[in-house]
Amino acid sequence: MGALPPVAPAVLACGEVRTGLLPSFQALDGRAAAQLLRLRADERVRVSERPNLYALSPDVLTGVDCRLPTSNGAKVRAVGTVAARAALTEGRVLQATAYFSAPADGPDLRRPWGHYLVRPGLVEPFGKLPEQATAEGVLRGSGRGELDLGMIAEGLLAQLLRHPLLDHKAPFKSRRTHLRWAARRAPEGEGPSLERFTLAEDGLRTVSLRLPEHVPAAAAAGLCEDLALHDWLLTTVVHMLDTSRLGAADGPAAVLALRPAVDHLLHLWMPRAHVDQDLGHLWEVLEREPGFTRQWRTLVQRIRDQLAVQAIPLLHEALTTR
Amino acid sequence: MTDAVFRETTAEPRTQAVPLSHLSLELGHLYMEDFEAGPERLREHFAEVRIWVDAARASAARRIGGKRPRISTCFLIDDYFTRFSTPAELIPIVLDEAERAGLVIDYLARESGCAVADKIELAEAVMHRLVESPPPGSYGSRPPVSRTGWLPNGQRTPALRPALGEVKGWQPPQETAARNHSVFMDVELWSDKDEQRLWSCPFLAAVWQLARLGLLRHLGEPVLAPRPWTGGDFPHDWDQLPPLLRLNATAAPFNAYRTCTLMANRFLAVEDAVRLILDQVDVDAGALRQVAERSAREGVAVPAAVAQRATYVFYEEPARDSSREAS
Repeated sequence: MGALPPVAPAVLACGEVRTGLLPSFQALDGRAAAQLLRLRADERVRVSERPNLYALSPDVLTGVDCRLPTSNGAKVRAVGTVAARAALTEGRVLQATAYFSAPADGPDLRRPWGHYLVRPGLVEPFGKLPEQATAEGVLRGSGRGELDLGMIAEGLLAQLLRHPLLDHKAPFKSRRTHLRWAARRAPEGEGPSLERFTLAEDGLRTVSLRLPEHVPAAAAAGLCEDLALHDWLLTTVVHMLDTSRLGAADGPAAVLALRPAVDHLLHLWMPRAHVDQDLGHLWEVLEREPGFTRQWRTLVQRIRDQLAVQAIPLLHEALTTR
Repeated sequence: MTDAVFRETTAEPRTQAVPLSHLSLELGHLYMEDFEAGPERLREHFAEVRIWVDAARASAARRIGGKRPRISTCFLIDDYFTRFSTPAELIPIVLDEAERAGLVIDYLARESGCAVADKIELAEAVMHRLVESPPPGSYGSRPPVSRTGWLPNGQRTPALRPALGEVKGWQPPQETAARNHSVFMDVELWSDKDEQRLWSCPFLAAVWQLARLGLLRHLGEPVLAPRPWTGGDFPHDWDQLPPLLRLNATAAPFNAYRTCTLMANRFLAVEDAVRLILDQVDVDAGALRQVAERSAREGVAVPAAVAQRATYVFYEEPARDSSREAS
């Protein structure tokens, strides 16, 4: 950042994404999406129409001065700002992310607040940052009084959900997921890598990354939003198929249960659509094992087959009653 | 991503740059009471200010290594809190008195332009950019600035709640950046009356500082762009006057790396409040970066923190007219 006094480069970036269905009967178009995500009057919402409709809010900051979550109980006070942003995909899936990055060490004294504000999204530890313990601590979730990314993301989501544009008539029931991520610095000379994707209970997912120094935290946030979006799609459609009681249910009921997937979700699958070029290839790991797209294709095929099967008696009926 | 084949302009961040001087020097701030005191008051003011103007110029030149600094001067007239006189009547007097002291006013601004300029709600936009300094123990809750309309530099005295039966003793407020002892300050940013919002003087002055520092944008475009004055009479209505007027065609750019404001010492508290506000504004990141890059290229170091870019000279008030009559 030009003439700003040097701050040790970030060695850790962490975030939490909350993903859910926009509670609106109709999907929002680009203009409405921009209106919803306009968190500040003077800053534009970035709207993209290719390859799909995607709107991204500006970052808003929350000041923090508290302990960092750590897996080994180390007490590290840190001061700075956490960035939060929201994204809306195809006017249908709303995501809120809170994220920060942290340098390897910081001064033992709190600096004037203006110092932190010109380094948005940076949280400086007092003394040395226990990198691994903090990364693990963030993935595990924060304890009492510790930096709470989930609360910041949830706060932003709550603010957005109060927007008058929303009628709170979601076309079907679904559950939110949260994905926590932590990215430690990759060893010198190595590229970015996705080390672990964990599917935990209660809609929690965790992602461990390694990133080279030049990759900004915002790019990591973008990748993790993309992962969270597609994981949410899988989770939601699997759940929909489960509750539709395929095979057992009578024809019209199954059609009714699966219809929202066709209307609102099937066209949303588009991995890497808005991911930083340097990070897009990290998807390949998940495509090999467990095979996100492979599962999605199977689900889509099942839904289409089911609808076709249900259509046959209807067609038959129509022909015979003529 | 600039080498990509496919681009979407609506998907890219965009911040238009503004030309920048080394220093924006404010020669004064005129309120009704100053005007009512007559042209002698202005004469006194400019005569005193002249001395500090020379000092500020010398300081700016020294900072850039003795080269000729780009300095623009400005003058602010209050038409927000009280409306008095007319531009046609007032501005020529101000310009005459400045000239008499050997000063040139490059830019003239109306205070209400800091609230709304060219239909853009500047004060409102800055309000949305307030990020409160978190007291120790803040782990992610959003502070309630937008609800209370007050901005402190620390933690307030907790409210006494005798209803809970347990009456605790008084606890002092605490300045977050205190050294041993606190200097606690709580600044009123606005008041609402009859569904009309009245911005406070320190808040508008903070907007004014950000404007001079070239850190305000509206959807990426510069705001409060100076309009040239082509000569002729000034209008008879303040609303007819552009919010920012360039009176001197050869003036250096209005926006600058630093500001220096020359004012009477009665404004000390207001400007301390301005610094408190500036220290808690998350300014446009694109604008901030442009200033940092430009200044680095020029080899002119600019303080990283925004509040540090505003400097002041507080001088002794011109003698009151009553006291002069007495002497």
